[in-house]
Amino acid sequence: MASIQLEGVTKRFGRVVAVQGLTLHVREGELLTLLGPSGCGKTTTLRLVAGFVTPEEGRICFGTRDVTHLPPEHRNVGIVFQNYALFPHMTVAQNVAFGLEVRGIATSQVRSRVSEILERVQLRGLEDRYPHQLSGGQQQRVALARALVINPQVLLLDEPLANLDAKLREEMRFYIRDLQREFGITTIYVTHDQAEAMVLADRIALLRDGVLQQVAPPEEIYRRPQSRWVADFVGLCNFLPGRVLGREDGLLVVDTPAGVVRCSGAVEANRVLVCVRPESLRPHLGGRNRIVGVVRERTFLGNLLDLRVACPAGLMLRVQLSPSEDARPGEPLQLEFRPEDAWAVAEDS
Amino acid sequence: MAHAAELGRRELRRPLWSVRPAVLLLLPAGLFLVVFFLVPYLNMVRMSFLTKAQGAAFTNVMTLENYLRVLGDAFYWRVIGRTFWLAGLATVFTVLLGYPLAYAIARASGPRRPILLMLLLAPLLVGAVVRSYGWMILLGRVGLINQMLRALGWREAELMYNTLGVLIGLVHVYLPFMVLAVAGALEQIQADVELAARSLGASPWRTFWRVTWPLSLPGVFSGGILVFVLALSAYVIPILLGGNNVLVMPMLVVQMLLDAFNWPLGSAMAMVLFGLACAVLWAYVKVMNRALRWIPR
Amino acid sequence: MNANLRQLGFLGVVVALYVFLLAPIAIVVIAAFNAGEYLRFPPEGLSLRWFGRFLGSEPFVRAFWFSLKLASMVTVLSTLLGGAAAFYVVRHAGRSRDLLQLFFVAPLQLPAILTGIALLIFFYSLGLGTRGMAGLLIGHTVVSIPYVFLMVGAVLLRFDRTLEEAARSLGASAWTSFRRVTLPLIRGGVISGALFAFITSFDQFPVSLLLVSVGNTTLPIQLFDYLRFSFDPTAAAASTVSVAMSVAVVWLIDRLVGLEQVTWGGPR
Repeated sequence: MASIQLEGVTKRFGRVVAVQGLTLHVREGELLTLLGPSGCGKTTTLRLVAGFVTPEEGRICFGTRDVTHLPPEHRNVGIVFQNYALFPHMTVAQNVAFGLEVRGIATSQVRSRVSEILERVQLRGLEDRYPHQLSGGQQQRVALARALVINPQVLLLDEPLANLDAKLREEMRFYIRDLQREFGITTIYVTHDQAEAMVLADRIALLRDGVLQQVAPPEEIYRRPQSRWVADFVGLCNFLPGRVLGREDGLLVVDTPAGVVRCSGAVEANRVLVCVRPESLRPHLGGRNRIVGVVRERTFLGNLLDLRVACPAGLMLRVQLSPSEDARPGEPLQLEFRPEDAWAVAEDS
Repeated sequence: MAHAAELGRRELRRPLWSVRPAVLLLLPAGLFLVVFFLVPYLNMVRMSFLTKAQGAAFTNVMTLENYLRVLGDAFYWRVIGRTFWLAGLATVFTVLLGYPLAYAIARASGPRRPILLMLLLAPLLVGAVVRSYGWMILLGRVGLINQMLRALGWREAELMYNTLGVLIGLVHVYLPFMVLAVAGALEQIQADVELAARSLGASPWRTFWRVTWPLSLPGVFSGGILVFVLALSAYVIPILLGGNNVLVMPMLVVQMLLDAFNWPLGSAMAMVLFGLACAVLWAYVKVMNRALRWIPR
Repeated sequence: MNANLRQLGFLGVVVALYVFLLAPIAIVVIAAFNAGEYLRFPPEGLSLRWFGRFLGSEPFVRAFWFSLKLASMVTVLSTLLGGAAAFYVVRHAGRSRDLLQLFFVAPLQLPAILTGIALLIFFYSLGLGTRGMAGLLIGHTVVSIPYVFLMVGAVLLRFDRTLEEAARSLGASAWTSFRRVTLPLIRGGVISGALFAFITSFDQFPVSLLLVSVGNTTLPIQLFDYLRFSFDPTAAAASTVSVAMSVAVVWLIDRLVGLEQVTWGGPR
């Protein structure tokens, strides 16, 4: 098992810069998700690690070994592609055995290892089927088995659940996470689905236009985003623009159009945005951060009440309350939030 | 939503037993081909069982003699054998030469592809006669290639009026068909499949041999069938490039029909040639299906 | 280093193969402009005398015009017949679709020379003989219909029916909707089918071989007869004219429709 290090990696395709100065360290045995909108460079990053493309600048290392210019067949990387890329002309067993055969492993050993891994992914009995005879979920597991059986140092998954229906996707998420923990392989998982990233990741790496925005465990990314873009990308967020008045008891005091509020934050700038998640806004019960507004829209979502509340200075806040609260359109509403639930980021981030 | 639309569309059609006006679209071409394609072929089969008479091409006397003559004469078997042999060789060589071209076209990106395709198909715009003529200029005793050889101080090569010349011509003319068939199959291969093989440790050559080549076989097979049948029935190329030295069945058949004016025998010869071809193809398809078990039906 | 060498080698092979494909045709065109009787390297100088000989040769010129006329008629006939058949098979065929498809493509699957033989025998069996243009016209059309059928069929399969439904919902009759919505959009397929039909007829050899009669020779046959016995570059000039004809047709299509419109439907 090895860690993965990317240092200052830049990859260009013609004039387009897909990945810019990427420095990323994936710890041994961790599952890191690469998250970002399409075109952000996450698939390119994966392909760089796999060896299908070579960077113009920078280094890629597995542990202490520099693999930057090593061709893919020598990197010992297990890959699960979005469309599984199973060999259509080979049976399940042959597909899984391929990597072992190529390494010159003895036939008897090949057979036992293939059996073992198929048992692990619960595909016993399907050895002689061809890929087109399997369901999507089964094909997925064959792809996993094929990648894992070679004991790779590194496991790469490129949106492997994208082609499955919603229910299966949820099941497979947990399955993949458990499998990864069991094998303990350093893993990079690419996805554009936030929920998926939150469930699977030990840490999330957010990419935007080829540039790394933040690398942190899911909870930290959600609660302590480093920039406005990050806050906006992951989940819903309200932004209160304001000017920092000072610090008090470890909290920032910010003057916003909705009033003076106190929030957490480590930002040095003077002009900030206070990020408040919709679920952090509650009906006012006497707390210090008080916001007054008028309900404009009310949507009943079953487990939540989703409100749009108009506040002073043209601020429109998104609020999510428990359905038992009473809030009608046109009526005034008083809200509050706890300072520890609000986080300040620099305004121009 | 699409299902509902389809059902709605079906309702616009009338029941099967009433004559739909749309059939008028079908009738002209249908009748044309039945009268001028189906019937003539059936007639040709009938002709092969008739007898030649003095002064006429045929008479209405049924006989098996034509077939017996063709099948019983070693001369005809030699010609048939030569025809099949040439067709087989041509097929093999079109695969060997065509595969690299097909690979280049299938893997070409952007503006290069249409250009490569156009260059490939351009020779098809020109007839077989013109193309054979080009080879005559190149391969002849005083042709360009021999001029070059002589200029280099080497001996002249006999490249024409023999099997080699015919083979070159056949491969040249039918190469684009093979390339198209193989390129089509190569394009169907998911790009990720090759990447997967590489990631599992296979070198580029290994990847080609164990993944790309087997997956392209359907194209090779269907291209092979096409080229084989075309080469088997080639007339212009053997005549122009083989002269009187390479006698293939189509030449004999035409001779029998137009020169000797013996239509029953000519028909029988044609039937034998293509009957054998069908038998060969049938066996070929059987083998092909076994090898391509993995294709979903 | 190894990878680059491999790529270079591959490139070399591909270039060599393209040279193999195109050289004979280029050679013929060069020979047509060559001053000398035999094509020598280096060429002896430019001259148009062979074209002069071609234009002065009555059989060649007559054959050229005949081929042109014949091909035009074949194109019209096979486009109408094949196009209509394609329409029926794609839109209305239902269960018989596969069988009909097989039927209309059959002339492509069987060797043209066999078709020519069958037609020759057929015409004589009926006592009609092969005098006049009719036999050739029929023979060429038989082998051209499959191309039109495939091309038009391919473009029809891809056509979005909801466009017609939209037109009908806006008040257009079936015919108007066809004329103003469907036809313009499938134009590319129809034209490419017609293009194939024209070239198939103009360059057709095996069928013509058996169905030509005295006074009604096509250019390929004339060229062939000439090449059996003579070798001078008049044949090259005739060939070049033939090549130019095909190129002109493709160019014309590009002007009228744009080559991007031409679909690569093709035989399966």
